[in-house]
Amino acid sequence: MENSNSYSPYSSSSVDSTKPSPSESSVNLSLSLTFPSTSSQRETSQDWPPIKPRLRDTLKSLRLRQRGYNTALFVKVYMEGVPIGRKLDLSTFSGYKSLLENLSHMFDTSVICGTRDSKNHVLTYQDKDGDWMMVGDIPWDMFLETVRRLKITRPERC
Amino acid sequence: MNYFPDEVIEHVFDFVTSHKDRNSISLVCKSWFKIERYSRQNVFIGNCYSISPERLLRRFPCFKSLTLKGKPHFADFNLVPHGWGGFVQPWIEALARSRVGLEELRLKRMVVTDEGLELLSRSFVNFKSLVLVSCEGFSTDGLASIASNCRHLRDLDLQENEIDDHRGQWLSCFPETYTSLVTLNFACLEGETNLVALERLVARSPNLRSLKLNRAVPLDALARLMACAPQIVDLGVGSYEDEQDSESCLKLQAAIRKCTSLRSLSGFLEAAPHCLSAFHPVCHNLTSLNLSYAAEIHGSHLIKLIEHCKKLQRLWILDSIGDKGLEVVASTCKELQELRVFPTDLHGGGNTAVTEDGLVAISAGCPKLHSILYFCQQMTNAALITVARNCPNFIRFRLCILEPHKPDHVTSQPLDEGFGAIVQACKNLKRLSVSGLLTDQVFLYIGMFATQLEMLSIAFAGDTDKGMLYVLNGCKKMRKLEIRDSPFGDAALLADVNKYETMRSLWMSSCEVTLGGCKRLARKAPWLNVEIINENDNNRMEENGYEGRQKVDNKLYLYRTVVGTRVDAPPFVWIL
Repeated sequence: MENSNSYSPYSSSSVDSTKPSPSESSVNLSLSLTFPSTSSQRETSQDWPPIKPRLRDTLKSLRLRQRGYNTALFVKVYMEGVPIGRKLDLSTFSGYKSLLENLSHMFDTSVICGTRDSKNHVLTYQDKDGDWMMVGDIPWDMFLETVRRLKITRPERC
Repeated sequence: MNYFPDEVIEHVFDFVTSHKDRNSISLVCKSWFKIERYSRQNVFIGNCYSISPERLLRRFPCFKSLTLKGKPHFADFNLVPHGWGGFVQPWIEALARSRVGLEELRLKRMVVTDEGLELLSRSFVNFKSLVLVSCEGFSTDGLASIASNCRHLRDLDLQENEIDDHRGQWLSCFPETYTSLVTLNFACLEGETNLVALERLVARSPNLRSLKLNRAVPLDALARLMACAPQIVDLGVGSYEDEQDSESCLKLQAAIRKCTSLRSLSGFLEAAPHCLSAFHPVCHNLTSLNLSYAAEIHGSHLIKLIEHCKKLQRLWILDSIGDKGLEVVASTCKELQELRVFPTDLHGGGNTAVTEDGLVAISAGCPKLHSILYFCQQMTNAALITVARNCPNFIRFRLCILEPHKPDHVTSQPLDEGFGAIVQACKNLKRLSVSGLLTDQVFLYIGMFATQLEMLSIAFAGDTDKGMLYVLNGCKKMRKLEIRDSPFGDAALLADVNKYETMRSLWMSSCEVTLGGCKRLARKAPWLNVEIINENDNNRMEENGYEGRQKVDNKLYLYRTVVGTRVDAPPFVWIL
């Protein structure tokens, strides 16, 4: 099984002109989707690799979540009654549990979500509509998209 | 056999179930043709445009089950624009008008509507089984019709469809008296699920064997469902995000232990890493495991699960399992027949999760392996030659190297020799997908050795028309040929026009065929539908006079048909 074609399209000296290379797509009259060569173009290719849409979406959202780890999401946090607030990077938390643990530690008190309690401070947030809401009702990812600032309220206020 | 009355011959034919065999017996003589057509129970139509419903009913007046496929395979990868075709409505209408006692309808890549589902549900009293795979165009309202009206429904199996979820109450449309459910798969629904209705339905379905939930079914509901369906054989887990050791988790573990019939596990659409361990007690019985959507689970957890799965025959997994994980599979799963390894990193970020080593390990460790789909970043001829030697029994071999034109990463040679070894060793190979750097040589090997090949997928491969000609001339049993981004042109397309009558279809996109060439083909072969899918506004192509030399802007799809040009093509599809 002797291979008679000994060349490599990757060397600059011998380029096989009949092979459709990505850079030829501008010369071609064809406007079809040839595989893009730059990584930014690769991001938008919807038909390669050959996987089904559902898997493609799953991987895309996974990648966004992973990439989100690198983009900080700082929000202001106030404790009711305390004029000076703190700033917190929400992207460092994996979910509500770790957020509450961190806030409890930061403000040296017990901070919880949701249920009214005479002992614990309850965490609320201001969403992108400007409304103040209880933390914990919506999925974490959705919360990250809508949260603008946090407030730790005194229990009876809720 | 001529001395037997028809009833006896018919009884003998009852034992012949495969479509191919029944097609063969119908060709023996007129008498057998007649007996066969009246007794055919299951009809399979691989291309819905190859025949019309009227002709189907004329030939087979008494069938009970119909399988229809619409769009070409590459539609799965966004290559066929919305609206292309594959409408099931005319079929349902024709069947409803006839006297066929339809009991089962299986559709793949077709457009289904709520009206169609409503008509289906009202027209066939004994309707039992609806299987929709990769379909679109309908909503949960259509499912509500099916649930309300099909008294004898056994299977409602929705696999990877695009369904408009109205978050309605379709599950509560099953009457309280309805107890015959066997299969319920709604994993592809994106919206909320009425958990109360679902639990009541499962509780009153003693024959339920297969239950696949969507992501809106949380852990505590899953625990309750499994507790009232311990007879379950096939389970698709929806959402699994609870904290470890929560009460729901414990309840679930208790319920799972009672499911001694469980053989198939899938889903984990939103899964926390620790959740797999709850299923360890039933792993030793599992024959099928699909973790291809569990993108958040790390390889180490996957490996821990698989170590318990000694009887596994089918495994679908993500490449996060790594070569090390595949070595565990190779040493644990000696019964493995089918393996699919999907990519997690679509952008070639250098993360070499699985390589040729994993593939070689599997081939060495799993003697019963006959089907593989493997996505990877790199491959070598040496590895493929070893795989071919280890596994001469492949029926399906699909290798997708993520970067097009990528050569053997050790020798920088094309992968012709590796794939050549595969086709030479695997004498029963029916399906092949090739990738990586490939010259015309690989197609010479395929044409020479792949005598049983029925489906071939080519992407970014070959040098000249000779490549495609080797395949068309050599593979006598070819049925479906799909090619993208490869330098094959009019000469290859037109060399043997009669070949296409022996095939179901040919797809060529981003190749070198021209509009003129396609027109010549259409003229030479009136028994073919030659379609050009043209997504850009190129109606001016002909006016400019470039027609003959203009490359086909997008896609060529041709298929044999006995009913001529279809009438439902959208404006962007030119039928030549």
